[in-house]
Amino acid sequence: MATTDIQGQVLGETEGGADKFAWSMTLPLVRATLWGFTAYFLGAWITAIAAHTLIVNALPATVGYVFGLLGWLAGSGLWEGWIRRAFGGAEAPVYTGVERYFRFSSDSKATAVRYVIFNVIAFLFAGLAAMAIRIQLLTPNSTGWWLSEVQYNETFGIHGLMMLLAVVSSVIVGGAGFYLLPLMLGVRNVVYPRLLGLSWWLLPPATVAAFMSPLIGGFQTGWWGYPPLAQNSGNGIVFYVLAAATLLTSSVLGAVNIVGTMIYMRAKGMSLGRVPIFVWGLVAAATILIVEAPATFTGAVMDLSDMILGSHFYTGPTGHPMAYLDQFWWLFHPEVYVFVLPAFALWLEILPAATQRPLFARNWAIAGMLGVAMVGSLVGAHHYFTAMSATRMPIFMTLTETVSIPTGFIYLCAIGTIWGGRVKINAAVLLTLMAMMNFLIGGLTGLFNADVPADFQLHNTYWVVAHFHYTMLGGVIFTWLAALYWWFPKVTGRMVNEFWAKFHAWWFFIFFNLTFLVMFIPGIEGMNRRVAIYLPYLRPLNEFVSISSFFLGAGFLIPAVNLFVSWRSGKKATQNPWGSKSLEWHLSSPTPYVPFPEGSEVTVVGPNDNYAAGAPEPFVWNQATPSK
Amino acid sequence: MAAENIGTLMDPASERAKRGAFFFPMLFTSIICAAWFLARFLWAGTSVPKAADFGVGVALTVLMLFSIGPMSGARTKLIRGEDAAALGRLAALLGIAVLVVVGIIATWWAVPIGTGYGGIYDITSGWILLYFVGGVLGLLASLMKGKQVLERFQSERWVAHNVLSFWGELVLLWTVFFIVFYIA
Repeated sequence: MATTDIQGQVLGETEGGADKFAWSMTLPLVRATLWGFTAYFLGAWITAIAAHTLIVNALPATVGYVFGLLGWLAGSGLWEGWIRRAFGGAEAPVYTGVERYFRFSSDSKATAVRYVIFNVIAFLFAGLAAMAIRIQLLTPNSTGWWLSEVQYNETFGIHGLMMLLAVVSSVIVGGAGFYLLPLMLGVRNVVYPRLLGLSWWLLPPATVAAFMSPLIGGFQTGWWGYPPLAQNSGNGIVFYVLAAATLLTSSVLGAVNIVGTMIYMRAKGMSLGRVPIFVWGLVAAATILIVEAPATFTGAVMDLSDMILGSHFYTGPTGHPMAYLDQFWWLFHPEVYVFVLPAFALWLEILPAATQRPLFARNWAIAGMLGVAMVGSLVGAHHYFTAMSATRMPIFMTLTETVSIPTGFIYLCAIGTIWGGRVKINAAVLLTLMAMMNFLIGGLTGLFNADVPADFQLHNTYWVVAHFHYTMLGGVIFTWLAALYWWFPKVTGRMVNEFWAKFHAWWFFIFFNLTFLVMFIPGIEGMNRRVAIYLPYLRPLNEFVSISSFFLGAGFLIPAVNLFVSWRSGKKATQNPWGSKSLEWHLSSPTPYVPFPEGSEVTVVGPNDNYAAGAPEPFVWNQATPSK
Repeated sequence: MAAENIGTLMDPASERAKRGAFFFPMLFTSIICAAWFLARFLWAGTSVPKAADFGVGVALTVLMLFSIGPMSGARTKLIRGEDAAALGRLAALLGIAVLVVVGIIATWWAVPIGTGYGGIYDITSGWILLYFVGGVLGLLASLMKGKQVLERFQSERWVAHNVLSFWGELVLLWTVFFIVFYIA
């Protein structure tokens, strides 16, 4: 009996509500917005009156943010969907249809879809900030006709913070991760579904606050927020700190669910050796977050204490500004591995299916990901070789360069998988291969940053900017798009238009490399990052980079339109268009609301990436025994 | 199928999973809490004023150690399914938690405010206080659920177990760090 037949017998009402969209369904989202802004102004205004200060000053803005966050959460449906019942109140109805996307919901699939939409919107705005930066750099001094130096500083700070914490940190973990985690493990939902739902609802207020920070004075520290500049360059820094702390909290709520679900909720027969490789990537990333985030989270809050409560952790007579650097980079370098480990794992999910060959050296791939997580957790201090003692330098240089060894395992596993095989190239596979190429350049150029003598020359130049864009944009965002194309049929039940998807893949690859490969040159030639004005001899290179980046940015309209049109009118997808052995592809498309209703559970008898000729199917489906 | 049943179906984790996975948020929050305690040493430890009065702190430590009794009792009763007795111990624990909250606020007057030391002490205490407020809310939620909808309390015993685990984490952190702090 086919797997869909088994599910079909028991799905019934658990497939999800069939109600058509109505504008009234968006009411919780509208209510949350209204309550959020109202509570913000109420909190800020009352505090300003009580403290005899202005509403835009640090303390009223902080209190306003906390009130606003609580108002937003209350409006989202958190109260009736969780808090009220937790205190013994009435149960709220369960929304299984379209409305679950617009309110607090414990469905991990709805949460994941919201993550994707949020990431797209945040990427758009943070990308517009990038375009503003590149317009500025078209000429050596554009402050007369474009952004002032202060506005320029604010713009690159917002761009960096938003791209890292509102986009790259959650594009793969939030979208693909939370959608696929339970499905790949053969369970209906994650271990704490409500906490996972909350993780998404923390994102919008933090993001809005960061974007709005110029309205209360902005911040000019970049996304680092280093004191004592943080305390002396605009009240908007409190929105930066609060946004960073909120976004970190959101990430940790997701991380807790990833690790807890993997350890405690695998399908019958799914030993650790049979856990899908993508789940291993998620777990490696989540482990970093749980262990490393507290130091950085505490750093953000201590920085805030200095600003609003008069403490002197980092400033004043007892302050140690360098302590902030240690705390900040304690997580925020390993955070790079939080971004990229799930991307690595996606390569290793997609490539075996695309080549119909078993994943090469599976255990080495897992060891590689755990190795990157472990070694990578210790390397944050390499970001400030120019400000540390000579004793620490060789230690952190060696540790940083050691990360390339487990990373090499992962690359070798990917190459070994496709070696000698026939890769069936679709847009997702193409983007995966491009991401591998890009990240290779990002990784190899990173070795120069990790090397102390070279770093003294390259530190704080455009070399560094080009390097990390190769890892983040070139590695993670390419993989994000690959994941969107690969799993689009499973989420929507429709196929993506392959021509336009491939067209954009090439567009993206060409203009990405024209932008960032060329950007290494002004870096070597000594162009400092984070300056609005540069020397005239660097103009031709900057013009080239800026114009390439405009094409790169404009190109994102192609996938935006393609995905929307494909969702509305694309060809209907079959259950398993890629011939994958992964469990989610054995469910109907789109995934039903309850993915494994009682009576259609699976037993796992092998890893999901063994495509060797004659290999048995990795899952055995129980015969349907409908409970109703 | 009723919506409530779908809701239960879509929260499929077993009690073992719910309790076991709670280790991870506890680990995260413990490291943060430990960081606040350690901040006192790193930033203020060398300048503890001689006039600082730790009497309230000692009393709170004794109270925290005393709370191990009702905490363990509540857990045993939960495991045995004696919910009424478990709720009684949770209520006792709630009383202790409220006292600790009041005590922490009282310590703000026990150290000279305005000095560098006083500022660091008060702020770290303030952030630690949030943990105890969280504990109070968790205990209150379990009690109210147990009084109003016992059936739900019974089907979600893992919540009360996790609240007790969180309290145990607070006892451990407070005791270890206060003793070190006091001796130092």
